[in-house]
Amino acid sequence: MAVISETRGARRRLPRRILISQSLLQIFLLGMVVIAIFPFIWMIFASLKPFKELVESRALLPETWTLRNYEEILGRVNFVAAFRNSIVSAVSVTVVSVFTSSVMGYIFSKYRFVGKELLFTIILSTMMVPFAVIMVPLYITIANSFGLADHLAGIIITGFYTAFGIFLMRQFMESIPFELIDAARIDGASEWRIFFTLVLPMSMSPMSALAVFVYLINWDSFLWPLIVLNSQDNQTLPLVLAGLRNLWWTRYEMWAAGSMLTVVPVMAIYAFASRYFIRGIAMTGLKA
Amino acid sequence: MTSIADGSGASGRAETMGVWFVVKRTLRKPQFWFGFTMIVPLLIWYWIFSFWPIIQAFRMSTVAYKLLDPSNSPFVGAGNFLKIANHPLFWVSVKNTIMWAVYSFIFHLPLAMLIAVFLSKVRRGRNVYQALIFVPVVVSLVAVSLLFKMLMDPEVGQLNKLLSGVGLPELQWLSSSSSALPTAVIIATWKGLGFFVVILTAGMLNIPSELYDAALVDGTNPWQQFWRITMPLMGHTILLITVLLAIGSLQEFTLPTVLFGSEGGPGNSTYLYNMLIYQEAFLDIRFGTATAASLLQFAFILVISILQIKLIRPTWSY
Repeated sequence: MAVISETRGARRRLPRRILISQSLLQIFLLGMVVIAIFPFIWMIFASLKPFKELVESRALLPETWTLRNYEEILGRVNFVAAFRNSIVSAVSVTVVSVFTSSVMGYIFSKYRFVGKELLFTIILSTMMVPFAVIMVPLYITIANSFGLADHLAGIIITGFYTAFGIFLMRQFMESIPFELIDAARIDGASEWRIFFTLVLPMSMSPMSALAVFVYLINWDSFLWPLIVLNSQDNQTLPLVLAGLRNLWWTRYEMWAAGSMLTVVPVMAIYAFASRYFIRGIAMTGLKA
Repeated sequence: MTSIADGSGASGRAETMGVWFVVKRTLRKPQFWFGFTMIVPLLIWYWIFSFWPIIQAFRMSTVAYKLLDPSNSPFVGAGNFLKIANHPLFWVSVKNTIMWAVYSFIFHLPLAMLIAVFLSKVRRGRNVYQALIFVPVVVSLVAVSLLFKMLMDPEVGQLNKLLSGVGLPELQWLSSSSSALPTAVIIATWKGLGFFVVILTAGMLNIPSELYDAALVDGTNPWQQFWRITMPLMGHTILLITVLLAIGSLQEFTLPTVLFGSEGGPGNSTYLYNMLIYQEAFLDIRFGTATAASLLQFAFILVISILQIKLIRPTWSY
């Protein structure tokens, strides 16, 4: 009798203990979310305030709502060109490097040729070399041999292959059975057809993961574009945005408006595709 | 390159049949042409944009590079390495960079672990929390730098208004040479934490739940479960993020440059090693000493990574 009542008591207590610990978890995570998000919310309203109010007031919401900051910034700085440059470079690097990584991942995992492992090892070991080591010789190559100094192509062409991407795709392609590919060959499919209609559709999940990863890195890339791109019309968003600091020293309302113009389009994409972003990063972590 | 064979089995007969026959047979294979057209561009690209620049870097570090007549640059041996070591800001930048890395570890690892543990335990809303905590990772680092420079302005910034509002003393944040570096690392942590949280959470959710059930039956508390189950089984993931964190923080450039300009103010207190290399290369146009400096960084990062792998890598897996 005593034993039974004790287990019953425990059974009733258990959900309550879980309820308390779960509520504490919720509160903690909610706090983290506020810390992560609130600065952006402040920035939205800051970009709609006149300078004097931004500096003096403590209130989050503006007293006088204004769009003048946006007008002024769009009149002075060519944000549209910067935006176009950023999208063109990030998208083309992502598309090309995800394709080359998939093809090379396939070849390194399913083909046999002399020196395959050696080539793969050498390509992987280039990942260990810090960018600072190659930036000067690479700039000389881009500027002198290709004549691409101050050209958007100069930051695109250098991103066509990624060792990490080849590694990631090879890891995945190892799980595709040989029998499947051989069966397609016996059926008379060409190698191109096998790759595009059999291998690629099976690899969509690691490909989207890699695409997100490459895109994030290139969208935010700063040092290499800073070296290659000099004139304002050719610069990408991060460079133009960093230039606001010198253009409007402590004109914070302009900084806020410029940052908003940079942040909002990315946020809009993220709002719809956040699942793929998270899955992409999680998968690269698990596979690597 | 000439003997690309298909993966399903190169036959043993090939050896007995003469080289010419093997070459001819290989050339007829569709696999050969597919592989050939894909591998040749790879080799060309890697040669031009990766292997050749790396080889050049080693060569350039030993010459006094002449911009207008590169092939006649005089050989100076270890001279560039001595020159960079005697640069007035060399040791300043080395010390700042190591401090940056140390602060990065202190701020990132425990907090990312804590959030990841909580995310893996929470039963409702995990995906929403994760998506929102990840938001700063997606946003441009330059925008984040500007945002925090506004919030942390000692005169008119919101953070000091907040502090004085609740009766606390106002802080100098990025404006004093003693607090600028740790404050900048806090910004870097705010921006980068979500990345590590997502990787760690994925690793934790990958641990079979039977292990925790068994531990629960054995009467363990959450603290024991964390140190005896989660930590040991997360070995590979923790190794990955510590290596990424070390490599990333030792090469930091963008955040201090946007926050403080290329001279790493206040009083060079945030002047990092990559800013020194950038200044040598592209502001002072001394390519030789710049590449010498970068090779020192390469050696240092290599040693640190190998140490981490030796120290942290688990000797077993599940």
